[in-house]
Amino acid sequence: MTRMIERQRHIMDFTLAALLRRKGKNGALLSVYTLLVFILASILFFTHALKHEAALVLNEAPEIIVQRTMTGRYQTIPVAWSDRIRQINGVISVHPRLWGYKYDKDFLANYTMMVPAGNPPEPGSIDIGSGISRMRGANRGDIIAFAGHDGQPRSFTIRNIFDSESQLVTSDLILLSEKDYRDFSGIPEDQSTDLALQVRNPREYATIAEKISRMYPDSRPIVRTEIQRTYDALFGWRSGLMIVIFAAVALAFVIFAWDKATGLSAEEQKEIGILKAVGWETSDIMLMKFWEGSIISLTAFLLGTILAYAHVFFTSAALFAPVIKGWSTLYPTFRLTPFIDFGQVATLFFLTVVPYTVTTIIPSWRAATIDPDTVMR
Amino acid sequence: MKAIFRNICIMFTVLFFGFSLALAADLKPHKAGPKDKCPVCGMFVAKYPDFAAQITFRDGATFHFDGAKDMFRFYLNLSRYAPGKKTTDVAAVFVTNYYDLSLVNGLTAYYVIGSDVYGPMGRELIPFVRETEARDFMKDHHGTSRIRFRDVTPAILKPLD
Repeated sequence: MTRMIERQRHIMDFTLAALLRRKGKNGALLSVYTLLVFILASILFFTHALKHEAALVLNEAPEIIVQRTMTGRYQTIPVAWSDRIRQINGVISVHPRLWGYKYDKDFLANYTMMVPAGNPPEPGSIDIGSGISRMRGANRGDIIAFAGHDGQPRSFTIRNIFDSESQLVTSDLILLSEKDYRDFSGIPEDQSTDLALQVRNPREYATIAEKISRMYPDSRPIVRTEIQRTYDALFGWRSGLMIVIFAAVALAFVIFAWDKATGLSAEEQKEIGILKAVGWETSDIMLMKFWEGSIISLTAFLLGTILAYAHVFFTSAALFAPVIKGWSTLYPTFRLTPFIDFGQVATLFFLTVVPYTVTTIIPSWRAATIDPDTVMR
Repeated sequence: MKAIFRNICIMFTVLFFGFSLALAADLKPHKAGPKDKCPVCGMFVAKYPDFAAQITFRDGATFHFDGAKDMFRFYLNLSRYAPGKKTTDVAAVFVTNYYDLSLVNGLTAYYVIGSDVYGPMGRELIPFVRETEARDFMKDHHGTSRIRFRDVTPAILKPLD
């Protein structure tokens, strides 16, 4: 047993020394390999983080949202509708919501304003997301002003600044009291933005939505699964674009591995010949080649993955900026929530390290079985 | 003397019944664990909480089912599924109320059969606490009939297979 470990150790020692002897060639190989892994891992992390973000958004979403439309356009909904909708079997509760968007001309930013269901701020005070706090340089206790629907500015005291799991949801959020929001947005007392329904049994979603449409023909019930589809579409096209890049990089990797697999340079063949001549066995040479492949691919894998992590989560995927521009104009300081799935790292590992290591063994086996005399001549 | 004895007897009887009623009302439904299997079909119950049912016996033994149908099959054939137990030993029956998915008393519930809602074991008896809910459900989901616990017989379960 110890003999076997010793043997592996000696071969590894020799392999490392051999790799260091050809610094230029192996360095170039390592950097190309690292770059490939970096791009692949960035894409994987990025698409997964987007999906994760979407799931976080959806977690908060109510089971059914009822909106009202007029001439096919969105309209505020009468609060009185909630009484009849509450009578429908399977509806646990109906909550009229008040929320909307506000474009800030001075800071070129879009805010989401919302009256929270529980623990709303006192009239005259607000809670703001960390993004707004950073952008406007406002802290707890400061007074901040926004122009209302009539153009008159209204000032609020900041009660709290929140940081939550998903920055996409809360970075641009302003929470305020119902009284303040009605005054700010001009929504009349008996109207609300939409109705949020709580429904326990998912089997009843469709039936309830149908009953609501029959009850109020100008209403538009939106079921959670539809919300999910919308998010999928929104995040899906970005992921789709990434997949195209992914395919190109994967192809590059295949060519790269193929190049390695088709043959060894005359110099490497000569080296194998010499090793055989001094008494190495075919199995020793294959072991050496195996270690060589493992060392290069593992180093490249680790480096590439770490770089990709930093790229996606610390610099908000700066290299992919043109692709995410769509919402970066809406959320100027948006950062993805770090999220790593063990499965995706394992996939990356099996897609890069394993095939590379295997492809380096075959040509060396071919070279190792040839007579050393022919190789060295 | 006799009258006093009778009064005491009545008092004790009332007390006893009151006590046992209180005991029955105290029985809370247990949550099905990940290893609880339906004794009728052998499926794991925890995977299908939307239809779960359970029977608790006076000795504390609890059986979990993946639907009201299997619960009735068990209840109507105790000699096969729980030898040695009788229907009089049953302390409580719980079924999942369709609309709010809470476990409710199965003995007083209303059951709709023939609807287009299927449980993990196919056609089901869908339980409701209130009769009005059961009636509305029948209309929405094309149920054929609405029955009580005592009305369920093997003949009614047969076409649900």
